[in-house]
Amino acid sequence: MGQHSENYAGLFQQEPNMTAANSHKTGFRFKKDYYGYLFIAPFIIAFLLFGLYPVYNTFRLSFTNTTLMGGSGSFVGLQNYQRLFDTPQFMKAVSNTWLLWILNFIPQIGIALLLSVWFTSVRLRIRAVGIWRTVYYLPNLLMPAAIAALFFSLFSFFGPVNQALVRSGLIAEPVQWLQNQTVARGLVIFIQWWMWFGATIILIMAGMTSISVSLYESAMIDGADEWKMFRWITIPLLKPILIYVFVTSLVGGMQMFDIPFLLTDGRGSPSGSILTNNMLMYLKFSSSQGHIGAASAVGVVVFIMTTVIALGIFYFLREKN
Amino acid sequence: MKQTHRSSLTLFRTLIYIFLFGLVIVTIIPIWLVLVNATRSTLEIQQGLSAMPSTHLFDNYGILEGRGLNLLRGFTNSLFVATFSTVLAVYFSLMTAYGIVVYNFRGKRFFTSFVILLVLIPLQLSIIGFYQFMSRIGLTDNYASLILPVIASAGAVFFGKQYFESVVVHDLIDAGRVDGAGEFGIFHRIMMPIAVPGAVTLGIFAFAAAWNNFFNAFILISSIEKYTLPMLVQLMRGDVYRTEYGAIYLGLAVTIVPIIIIYLIFSRYIVNGIAMGAVKE
Repeated sequence: MGQHSENYAGLFQQEPNMTAANSHKTGFRFKKDYYGYLFIAPFIIAFLLFGLYPVYNTFRLSFTNTTLMGGSGSFVGLQNYQRLFDTPQFMKAVSNTWLLWILNFIPQIGIALLLSVWFTSVRLRIRAVGIWRTVYYLPNLLMPAAIAALFFSLFSFFGPVNQALVRSGLIAEPVQWLQNQTVARGLVIFIQWWMWFGATIILIMAGMTSISVSLYESAMIDGADEWKMFRWITIPLLKPILIYVFVTSLVGGMQMFDIPFLLTDGRGSPSGSILTNNMLMYLKFSSSQGHIGAASAVGVVVFIMTTVIALGIFYFLREKN
Repeated sequence: MKQTHRSSLTLFRTLIYIFLFGLVIVTIIPIWLVLVNATRSTLEIQQGLSAMPSTHLFDNYGILEGRGLNLLRGFTNSLFVATFSTVLAVYFSLMTAYGIVVYNFRGKRFFTSFVILLVLIPLQLSIIGFYQFMSRIGLTDNYASLILPVIASAGAVFFGKQYFESVVVHDLIDAGRVDGAGEFGIFHRIMMPIAVPGAVTLGIFAFAAAWNNFFNAFILISSIEKYTLPMLVQLMRGDVYRTEYGAIYLGLAVTIVPIIIIYLIFSRYIVNGIAMGAVKE
C-alpha cells in the first residue's frame, strides 16, 4: 500500500514527462487503433444521453411555459427570462450565491496556503504532516445534507447550543439563532469552509512539493528572505494549481444547494438571506404548478454565467503562463 | 545571538502546533457531537454537551421507527445506489481512460481536452431538462436515473488517464497480443488487475459522491420506500422529529459512519488520489 501511495505523489511531479506512453507507436499497434473508439464509446453515449441532451432540453424548456402537470407547453420566447430579471428574488439569489462562495473561499485558500507553507518548510520541520492532513480532509467526504441538518438541530430554539448557553449563564434566554441573517449566512460559510479547507491544503501542498528545491537554494544564495521566495517563486509556480482550485471551487459554489437548503426552511430564510441559485431553481420547480419552464430559465442563466467565467479564467490566465 | 534565534523558532513551532491542534478540534467537534449524541437520550442532550457516549442508542432507533422513519430501508437503498454507481463509474471511467492512453485514434486529443473541459462545466444546472427527459422515458422514481449518468464521469476519466499513464506497460500489451488475447481481453485480464490501486481510489470517491448525493435524489425520487439516506435526513428536519434530538443524531450518525470507516481504512489512497485528480496542464 505504501509503495503505491509514493507512486501517486511522484506521478504528480513527473506528469510533464509522461508523453512517452502516447508517442510509443509501432506498426503492429497502429492497426488496432480503431479500438480506441470502442473503449470510449460507452462514455460518449452516456454523455450524449445524460449530459448533453439534458443541457439542450433545459435550454429548450426555458423558452416554453411547460408545467409539471400540463405536459408540454407552448413557445413563449424570452418571457421566462424577462420575468426572471424583473423579480428582485433572482438578483438576490445570484448575489447571495456569490457572497456565500467568496466568503468561504477566501479563508479556505488563506488557511490552505498558510498550512501548506508550514507543512513544506524545511526550517520548521513540522511533524506528522500526513496525520494533520488526513484529519483536516475528513469533513470533505461527509454528507453535506447531514452536516446541514446537524447545524440546524444544534442552533434550533430548543437545541443544544441554546441549552448550553442558558445553563452556563452566558445568555439570559434562548435565542432564535437561525432567524438572524448574519448567523444563518455565517453558518453556511463556516460549513462550506469546514468541508473544503482540507481538500485545498492537499492540492496546494502537492503543487508546492513539485517545485524544485534548487530554485529556493539559489534564491537563498542571492539573499532572498522567506516572504520574497514565497512571493516570487512559490506563488508564480503554484499558479496552475491555484487556478484549478479557484475555478473548480467557483463551479461547485455556484451550484450550492444542500447546506443552505437544509439549514433553514428551504426557502432561504431568514428573509431570503441564504437563498442560492439552485434553491431558486428548485422553488420554481416545486411550486404548486411546477413551472419547469421558469425553473429551466434559472438553470440556463446560471449555467451560462458560471461556464463563461470558469472557462474564461481557465483559458485567459493559462495563456499567459 | 544564535541561541535567541533558536528559541524564537521553538516558540513559533509551538504556536503552530497549538494552531494545528485547534483546527483539529474544530474539524472533529461536529462529527463527535453526532456520534456521541446518537447514544444519548433527548433529556441528556438537553442537559448539556458531553464528550462521553451514553446507553440510549437502541431507544433512539425505536423513536425513529415509531414515527415511521425506516432507517434500515434508507440505508439499504443508499447502499444499493452507491454500490452500483461505484461499479459503473470505476469500470467505464477506466475503460475510457485506457482507450485514451493506449490507442492513437483520430480525434483523441480533442476528446481528451473535451473531458478536461467537462470537469469545469456545471452540469447539475441542467437537472430540470434531465428530469423532464427521465419523466418522458419513464425513469423518474427509478434508481436508473441516479445510477446510469455516472458512466460519463469526466473527473474520473481524467484521474484514470493520469493513472494509466503511469502503470500501462506497452510490452505487456504486446505480449498479450502475441498470446492471441483480444483488445478487451487485455484490458480485462492484464490491465485491470494492475490498475486495482487506482480503481480503489476512484471507487472511494465514486461511492462517497453517490452516497452523499441529495439534490438528484430529491428531484428524481418520489416514493418514500425508495428514499435514500440524505432524503431521510431531510425528513428528519420535519416537525414530527423536531425535539427528538437523540433520534435525529442517530439518523445523522448512520449516514456518516460508513464513510468514516471507509476513510479510516483507505485514507492513504484518498489523500494521494486528490492531488492526482487535479488538472495540472
